[in-house]
Amino acid sequence: MCVAGAVPFALSWFHFGPPRDWLGLVTCVALGIASWLLRETNVGARVQLSFISIITLAAAVIVGPVGAGIVGITATLIQFDRERVVVRVFNVGLFTCMATMTALVYLWAGGVVGAAGVEGPLPLIRHVGIPLMIADVAQCLINAGALAAILRVATGVPMRMQAWKLLSTSGPAYIGYGIIGFLFVVLWIPAHVGWFSAVLVLAPLFVARWAFAQYGDELRAHERTLRALVTAVEIKEPHNQGHSERVARLSEWLAESLGLGHKEIQDIRTAGMLHDIGKVSVPTRLLRGRRALTDDELVLLADHARAGVELVDDIDFVAGSLDGIAHHHERYDGRGYPAGLAGDRIPLAARVVAVADAFDALTSRRSYRAAHGVDDAVRLVEERAGTHLDPDVVEALDRVVARHGWQPTVGSDELVDTSGVAMDHDDPEMSDFFAERSDLRARLRGFVDGQEDQGQRGPHDQTDGDQRHPDEQAGHGHRHVGGRV
Amino acid sequence: MNRVRRLQVDLVVHVEVLAVVVAVAAVALSVPKLHTLDQNAIWHLALFLVAIALGETARLTALTGRDTAPMSTAAALALSLSTIATEGHDPIGSALVIATIAIGMGAGGLLLHTAGDTPRWPDAAARLLGVAVAPLLYRTFDFGGQTLIERLGNWVDNRWAVAVVMVLVGIAAMLVDLTLEAVVSAGRAHAPLLPTIIDEVRSSAALASALITSGALIALAEYAIGLAALPLFLLPLVLTYFAVQRFAGVRETYRQTIASLSSLTDRTGYTVPDHAQRVSRTAVAIGRDLGMGQRELTDLEYAAMLHDLGQVALREPIPAGATVAVSPADQQRIAQDGADIVRTTGVLDSVAQILEAQTTPFRQAREFGQDIPLSSRIIKVANAFDDIAGPSQASGATAMERLHLGLGYEYDPDVVDSLTRVLERRQRAAATGA
Repeated sequence: MCVAGAVPFALSWFHFGPPRDWLGLVTCVALGIASWLLRETNVGARVQLSFISIITLAAAVIVGPVGAGIVGITATLIQFDRERVVVRVFNVGLFTCMATMTALVYLWAGGVVGAAGVEGPLPLIRHVGIPLMIADVAQCLINAGALAAILRVATGVPMRMQAWKLLSTSGPAYIGYGIIGFLFVVLWIPAHVGWFSAVLVLAPLFVARWAFAQYGDELRAHERTLRALVTAVEIKEPHNQGHSERVARLSEWLAESLGLGHKEIQDIRTAGMLHDIGKVSVPTRLLRGRRALTDDELVLLADHARAGVELVDDIDFVAGSLDGIAHHHERYDGRGYPAGLAGDRIPLAARVVAVADAFDALTSRRSYRAAHGVDDAVRLVEERAGTHLDPDVVEALDRVVARHGWQPTVGSDELVDTSGVAMDHDDPEMSDFFAERSDLRARLRGFVDGQEDQGQRGPHDQTDGDQRHPDEQAGHGHRHVGGRV
Repeated sequence: MNRVRRLQVDLVVHVEVLAVVVAVAAVALSVPKLHTLDQNAIWHLALFLVAIALGETARLTALTGRDTAPMSTAAALALSLSTIATEGHDPIGSALVIATIAIGMGAGGLLLHTAGDTPRWPDAAARLLGVAVAPLLYRTFDFGGQTLIERLGNWVDNRWAVAVVMVLVGIAAMLVDLTLEAVVSAGRAHAPLLPTIIDEVRSSAALASALITSGALIALAEYAIGLAALPLFLLPLVLTYFAVQRFAGVRETYRQTIASLSSLTDRTGYTVPDHAQRVSRTAVAIGRDLGMGQRELTDLEYAAMLHDLGQVALREPIPAGATVAVSPADQQRIAQDGADIVRTTGVLDSVAQILEAQTTPFRQAREFGQDIPLSSRIIKVANAFDDIAGPSQASGATAMERLHLGLGYEYDPDVVDSLTRVLERRQRAAATGA
């Protein structure tokens, strides 16, 4: 990289001689250093503003290749934060190369350094604007190529894939950099504002950067606050502490392994985090039951999927996660609840969360059994592919556990003791139990239907459900409603 | 000083009337001048008018909750600072500039209106008056025999100094703008004037500086590349706009999450629905009345929404969730549990502090000098009022009587006085509404 930076720079110096516009150079260098200092490593939702690109583009026009090269060197060399020598050397090389090459491409494309003698809108666009955009594209390509190469060496990701990914994410931003660089130059030279144009052009950008940073902070704060919802539930159910967090993490990994997009992965993660949020509507005594639960209580407990959706329905941020929360107890064979969906009709998010939920339940210690080992639990989950769980997601679980590893949750005796003797609702045997009890599922569906014709109905008034399906109450259902696959 | 700080005046109507007068006067004065314009100048004015009208449709909600239209204001500033001239090469006068801005803003507002949106006219009036300061300063006001624009015409070699002057004019205009905006919002929210103005200037400074520099940018670039400057140089501002808009969006969804968190206890039957919302509304009204800044108000709002969160940890619900009826020790434990949950987020520590102190009686401050946050004292009063007055606020009088019994001992007298004012205003609003 150093060679790639040094060669064009040395050749330019040899060819063009030292820079002449010293005031311009000093301003550009100062801006370069400032923008490198202020570079944002990561502002939340992949928004990045790279001022250094704008500065090097402007420097290409204002002070030419040698000056641009000097901006590249000084910006990356004069730093106060500690970083590894290798990283710094790489950066110095990359930015010198990028800045000098940008300026050379600008000249090659017919650009005029200093925009000398270029007046009026059309000549400005022809002799400054268009060459600058071409130089901008070149800079974007050099940047993506160099980063992809270094990532190829460091992590082994195929270079073409990486380069493509970089181009598709940073490409649009580079169009903006090109235009802003052009504005900068126009103001500097033809409008005769000189160095002061830096203040004017960069001020709105700094405000934008500030707003993006605030946005990132607020977004993180929001995610953590969403977690407080979960904390509130876990206070009622101490033995399940960390369950939501683990399911969220595992769901995220599964979604990644299934090759989903960024937004979908985040939605599924949030769904995993909030899947049990409805348990807050369940009386505490049921969650810490000292005896086996009655049918009524089971229905009340199972209704948490629907109650959870109702609770977070008003938050725009989780709109994409509602399906995942509502249907995480559906079964692939259609014998789940609340809607009795089967196969691909179950939203993908819910199929993912179901696998993560079951796996974490199996690897957690209960008062009535020890935690299953990881291999053991994977085998148990695999046995359920096609009946309870989606085979594709189960397959992804194999890969995820192999790649990220997993630790069974043992928990202290004290915590485990709070849970009582009743079987935990997330244990897969519970799903089988409900699969065999179409009467209970019909009552759960009754809640959903009742919602539609009566509006709000709390989870507590279940007497209606009893009257609705008296026939199903009696016949301890070995009949199966809902389509089997 | 304290009286000045607490001064409340409702000048919304004055601002609106003044804006209408200025707009009408500007149009009336500029009509006879229209024939002095050549084709080129008319095109310029038309383009600025369109930009202002379109900019007016891209609204932002500022942090303090008022409406802004950044692109419109920047274009209006640029027009005020531009070199557009008559056929006789005199710069066009302020009347023409202000008339163009007023018509543009009016057209934008009507566009919004036809699109089913409701433009806030008082905010627009404040913005028109603020921006009108720029052309008056730059084109009309006499600085030692010459206007600024005439003087600056000779500074061809020192264009950067021209830019500095333009920025200064922009700063003056935006200061007037923010002050008037604050006057309008203080009038609307019944907040004391001075703290509102300070808060507005402080929290809008960043966006305002982007507007000022964009206005100067366009005016300067117009000198070099003509009309193309307007769309090109609004571009950085568009980026700013989207950034601020996203920020506003995430703040809104944050509020929704807090609302969900606050409704947790409703779902479990621990508290009565909407109690938290009502307490929050009352608490924020008191906070405004006492002149709290936006940041404090947000914390107060969140804390009030979450003040009963601790009940989620109870095994058995309290009757109707009314904490005013349980023993002080239990109240304190509930408050502490709520604060603990809020603290786990790691980002709402200031809210947790308010929650912790929300049950502390006022005498702790009076007798033992304990430092109770004002927000906590407000929530204590607002919560007690709502618990006693009930959902329809039917027993409001009884509630105030009870509060007065505990005045100074349990409740902060200043806060109770403020609540009295808030309730009076509500009654008046209800009377005029009915």
